[in-house]
Amino acid sequence: MEQDLQSEELNEEIIEHLMHPKNYGKLDEPSGVGVGHDEKTGEYVIFYLKIESENIQEVSFATNGCQDTVVLGSMFSEMVKGDTIENGKDAVEKMDQRLSGMTAQQQVCAEMVLTSFIAALINRENRLKNASEEMHVIKMKESCEIKPEDEEKQ
Amino acid sequence: MIENTLYKSKHRLWLNILFASFAIEDETIKSSLYDFAMIEFRHMKWLGQALRDADTVYNYDRDNMMLYKHESNFDLLRFVLGEIKNTQALYDTSVLGGRMSTDEHYFIHHITALLDDNANDAKISAFDMHRALPNKTLDPKQTDALTIFLFEESYKEYELILVYAYMQNYTEDRLHFDIFQDLIDESHFHLKSFGNMMAKMGILGLPRELHEMTYKITDIEKFVKDGIAEEEAAKEMCRQLAADINDEDLSPFFDFINFQENYHIALMEKLL
Repeated sequence: MEQDLQSEELNEEIIEHLMHPKNYGKLDEPSGVGVGHDEKTGEYVIFYLKIESENIQEVSFATNGCQDTVVLGSMFSEMVKGDTIENGKDAVEKMDQRLSGMTAQQQVCAEMVLTSFIAALINRENRLKNASEEMHVIKMKESCEIKPEDEEKQ
Repeated sequence: MIENTLYKSKHRLWLNILFASFAIEDETIKSSLYDFAMIEFRHMKWLGQALRDADTVYNYDRDNMMLYKHESNFDLLRFVLGEIKNTQALYDTSVLGGRMSTDEHYFIHHITALLDDNANDAKISAFDMHRALPNKTLDPKQTDALTIFLFEESYKEYELILVYAYMQNYTEDRLHFDIFQDLIDESHFHLKSFGNMMAKMGILGLPRELHEMTYKITDIEKFVKDGIAEEEAAKEMCRQLAADINDEDLSPFFDFINFQENYHIALMEKLL
């Protein structure tokens, strides 16, 4: 996934994710809902999970962010859909380790997608403990507002 | 009784007719479909007002709407015709219900007539990802920059149209109402320009659905300030794209869009 996004040219797979993002929208009666929110820019990713017997049966996400966020959200949601929670967490770690290979903006976008997924898992755990939390929100440390010095690093 | 299901159907119908107008190359058919789409958008506006007056909450959900990759004008026109006919069953006997119904009777008549003449059929290349503009030679980097720009900005214009329409419907302030209308009109023009360009490049896709976190605004001042920052960013994207593409037709167009953003910012500042 990271290689695709870093490549010089957009390929058909990425164009397809742009034209038809996978798992985009809301889920009815979710097990967990999480949000990664950038207070500075107002951008967010909201992630919905439906979990049965520790398996991620259904996922969906929505964002008001940039196209990198859409593509990463579309790809990541496909990765974890139908898998176990543990494998979903592993996917987060693996992607986290590879962030250094992405541009500064893509790193922030990816972090927002991963954070929203983690927030959805936390929300699900809170719901299981009978907490009346509609969604779990995590504020992003890094803003999607790229500074000029970050651009120069890219 | 007017239900949110009707609003959702009208939203989908507006998009279906609008994107059909982008996808079809024939300028006469394109123009009539675009006019019909704009009438559908006005229906949405009036319906939103009626729902507000009836204290009925509505939203911008589209229920996993897809933009099917139709391969010919007739495939697409038959699909649009079916969608219009399906919506007819949802209207009530109110004046607004009557207006929407009679408008669409004419749309059905017009599209049926188009389908009666085989000369109106043609292949559609709006979805085939060929990523080239007629009579233009862009290198891969320029093509990618233009592709990303069109996806970013077509979504943003769609988002702005709906967010401003929602805010316009719930404002009590006449000045704000007028400013929102100007901004909506401007975004319609930009969406039309970008949508037609995406179709020419074979990358036409629906803007993604808006989540209510995007349009249910609680802090208008922060919303406007963030919006001004986004307009500034869009200006820079246009300027950069015009410079990168360096084409005698395309560069002036993106500069033209860039300069229009200045007045959008001035309008938005009046909301503060």
